[in-house]
Amino acid sequence: MITVSRLSKTFHLHRKEPGLWGSMKSLVARRTIEKRAVNEVSFSVGEGEIVGLLGANGAGKTTVVKMLAGIIHPSSGEASVLGYKPWERDNRLRRQIALIMGQKAQLWWDLPAADCFLLLREIYRIDRKRYEENLERLSAVLGVRDLLTTQVRRLSLGERMKMELIAALLHDPRVVYLDEPTIGLDISAQRSIREFVQSYQREHRPAVILTSHYMADIEHLCRRIIILREGGIVFDGQLKDVVDRFASTKIVAVRLQEGATTAPDTGGLDKLGEVIACSREEVRLHVPRAEVAAASAHLMSTLPVIDLSIEEEDVGTIIENIMTKPGGES
Amino acid sequence: MLLRYPVLYLYFLRFAFSRAMEFRFDFFFRIVMDIVYYVVTFAFFGVLYLHTSLLGGWTLDQTFVFTAGFIFCDAIYMTVFSTGIWHFPFRINKGDLDYYLVRPVSSIFVLTLREFAANSFLNLLIAAGVLVWAIARYPDPLGFLPVAVFVVMVFLGCITFSLISVCFLIPTFWTTGHEGLRKLLYLVSDFSERPHTIYPAWIQRIVLTILPCALISSYPTWILFEGITPARIGHVLLVFTGTVAFTLWFWSRGLKAYSSASS
Repeated sequence: MITVSRLSKTFHLHRKEPGLWGSMKSLVARRTIEKRAVNEVSFSVGEGEIVGLLGANGAGKTTVVKMLAGIIHPSSGEASVLGYKPWERDNRLRRQIALIMGQKAQLWWDLPAADCFLLLREIYRIDRKRYEENLERLSAVLGVRDLLTTQVRRLSLGERMKMELIAALLHDPRVVYLDEPTIGLDISAQRSIREFVQSYQREHRPAVILTSHYMADIEHLCRRIIILREGGIVFDGQLKDVVDRFASTKIVAVRLQEGATTAPDTGGLDKLGEVIACSREEVRLHVPRAEVAAASAHLMSTLPVIDLSIEEEDVGTIIENIMTKPGGES
Repeated sequence: MLLRYPVLYLYFLRFAFSRAMEFRFDFFFRIVMDIVYYVVTFAFFGVLYLHTSLLGGWTLDQTFVFTAGFIFCDAIYMTVFSTGIWHFPFRINKGDLDYYLVRPVSSIFVLTLREFAANSFLNLLIAAGVLVWAIARYPDPLGFLPVAVFVVMVFLGCITFSLISVCFLIPTFWTTGHEGLRKLLYLVSDFSERPHTIYPAWIQRIVLTILPCALISSYPTWILFEGITPARIGHVLLVFTGTVAFTLWFWSRGLKAYSSASS
């Protein structure tokens, strides 16, 4: 449904030194720099697939989404969404896609959401029966049926985001772009949005591209992730494979018998791996994957261990490392 | 297909009236403000005619028809187009076009027309009344057809001017700053407030073709008094069509350069 081939986007930015003198200098001679926001990315997304697009701030996630939604033109490369070039803005494509941006509102601030939905019904030419069914179903699932006639500006952030979701999904889009849909929401609202997206995706099987800074969103919704760093793809694969591929260590944790008067000697533990915690009750170490068995045996034989566990690195930490560090291994 | 747009526009009207009713002070203040503006505009020409009997070849009665046409056009512009066009550069710079560009509807249509100034609507009715008054008080009978053609041409002139306003702000896609462009637009629009016949021939040519400010009211008034000919009607239609085509082309170029804004 979505095919992207060597897609790039370069922005031309003005550089100005700080202060009044810098402003005056830039008035006479302006320095322009090129910022390659997206650098030859290629991937595809199939029907019913949710792909998480991850990256640090400025990695190019939103730029990719905006190119695929037809908002901005690429500098080079190709993309096809449902057989159309998105930036040509063919109405036949625009009737089948939806975009939700957590940081931007699409609903009219002073009007009840129900009025905005009526306008969208006209824009997308949704027949009355389908519109009423969709509105009823979406508002019931999201629990906002009683709020449809409340002015948008009087809704809480979470309620507003639910209305934004309804606005985006009323026309049964086949491709959905979710750009940080849970940003700024409290934990309960985040969970509710996540659960809704998951059930909607199961039922309607649109292709979904999701960007989010919250690992919980990604872990909950995406089997596949694409990680961007400085505009380029550094990982495209299953979320479960991230740990195998990028985690060079495991966490070995032991609980110690009560009664010890001092913590174990960290000097000895350092040889096994990186010490994360060391107290009278517990020792936690980052240990190279190949040395886990040996390190565990060593701990068992030298310390009064009552419990031992071997844990994978936190996937969020691994992804954070991939996003920010060249090489990316944790 | 084209019927969609009037239906969409009815939604914009409905939304605008719902919102405007909430701000009563603004609603009534705008009426007072615009009436003062109308009186000052007529008074300006009244004072000029204390010192001369003809201005650009027009009598006071003819100039009143021109002024009423201009005021009517101004009221249409202020009510229908101005708010959307005012916000235009801000939307470009703040990346607010994003949602407009993903919808299966003309982005320029929604951007320029979604903000109907319902609090100016009564002024539009008052301006229409002023136009009827100016035509009715004209000493000679003007005839139904010439008056009808005049009103249609004023309406086309108003759309033409609105498109010119959009064209003046489209460079914001590249320049980011827009204040200079806006001031230039105001400067150019001054030409629409005076009869084009008072200017030298080369300025007349510019305000009738490249920057067709005279099409707002001056040229339709001139045709009303000088006579309707196919060439004159053809000129208005040609300039109108050219302006529409140029605006759409320029808009599509602008959208190509649109970079949205960082999230």
